[in-house]
Amino acid sequence: MRQEACAAAREALPVESSETNSPTPDATIREGEMEGVLHVVGKLGYRAASVRAVLEYSGGHRKQFYDHFDSLEDCFAQAYATWIDRLGISLLEAAVTESDWRSSVRSGLTQLLQFVSARPDIARALFIEVQIAGGAALAKHDEAVDRLAGLLDSVRGEIPPGGEPPGQTGIFVIGGIEACICDALAAEETSRLWNALPELMHLVVGSYLDSESAEEAFEEARAMLERDRARLEGDPG
Amino acid sequence: MTELRLVEPEADDGPFSAGTPLPLRLPRGRHGIPAGVVTEHQRLRLLAAMTAALGEYGYANVTATQVSELANVSTSTFYKHFGNLWDCLLAAYVAAADRLCTVIETRCAELEPGADPVLAGIEAGLGLFSAEPELGLLLSAQAPRESPAISAARRLLVSRLAEMLRRAGPEDDGGRRPVGLDERLIDASLTFLHAQIARDATDGLPAHAAELAAILGRPRVAA
Repeated sequence: MRQEACAAAREALPVESSETNSPTPDATIREGEMEGVLHVVGKLGYRAASVRAVLEYSGGHRKQFYDHFDSLEDCFAQAYATWIDRLGISLLEAAVTESDWRSSVRSGLTQLLQFVSARPDIARALFIEVQIAGGAALAKHDEAVDRLAGLLDSVRGEIPPGGEPPGQTGIFVIGGIEACICDALAAEETSRLWNALPELMHLVVGSYLDSESAEEAFEEARAMLERDRARLEGDPG
Repeated sequence: MTELRLVEPEADDGPFSAGTPLPLRLPRGRHGIPAGVVTEHQRLRLLAAMTAALGEYGYANVTATQVSELANVSTSTFYKHFGNLWDCLLAAYVAAADRLCTVIETRCAELEPGADPVLAGIEAGLGLFSAEPELGLLLSAQAPRESPAISAARRLLVSRLAEMLRRAGPEDDGGRRPVGLDERLIDASLTFLHAQIARDATDGLPAHAAELAAILGRPRVAA
């Protein structure tokens, strides 16, 4: 993946690293509430989520919750924005370690599947329940999709004139990956995701590059799974 | 002796023929309409109302009461037909999925020789979604936690559309096309369309037909 594209995306994600500043106790509680709302929404569904259920997960008090957030909806929107940005950064960090676009896509995708496997309830909130919630969280979701599509589009500079894919290819491909994740989460079978990795690589690469590249990407992903699947499924990433 | 035979109903003669808008209410009082017809009429109104209510209130807020009001029936009538909101939604989903598949198949069956069936199928589907965005939203959205059956129905729709795509595809792939790739392409298309509809960009949906056909029609298997 192109370094300049990654750098631009990183600048667009103004999320502070938790490693540089030690959080205050209040910030830690707020952080727990945000994780709690995503966990609860993922576990029970957006319609069934409640402040009480969030506090049962995070361990805080109702007054503290309302000091931090206007409402459950506000908490979800803020939690969503924070976690989707963090996820975007982790995908980016996985992608930039590779020297070519195809390997970057595979690393980013692998990182994404590891996250979903390790935190299925949070992933469910980020990918499925956000569509139920709508509003600010859904707008943030769409921003994240646009940003990832832009990163995939960085390969366009390497495609000879006349071979460029349609303009909406990035959005389309991200939608395909997301739908695959939603499908596995809805069925509560995240192992399905790993089975789909070679197909997803074929989908992404074949949507931008030629069919030979797509087939190579498919085989590379299959070989990687044969070699590393146990480690990948067990590693929370 | 009089010969007894089954009489086929005229295609456009029935009270609820395809394409005829459903009347909001049947006549009050003694109208002589058979009870089964009344019940079916209520059910069809509820399915239409479910789709409309989802478009108006969204998954987060839609309720059985809103659906009943839109269908012009009481909530007790709603619960005579469906156990809960999600049962009604599932029935609406299945009916809408059948309509989408029928629209696409009908369009493809009428194609002139040499025409692109992938483009024609996409145009037919986008035409339906553009004319009835609530139906497009229902079919393309991910289902909420409360209703795993709708997720299963969505998977079934994806499989049906993927099978159509395989039949329409020009490629002789020699069996090398990845097994689930067409399902991924259809899923990606539905997700793409959902984003467009959610952004109220339904008028522009038909304009995406050529682009979607170009993406779906890309050669995916090396010669």
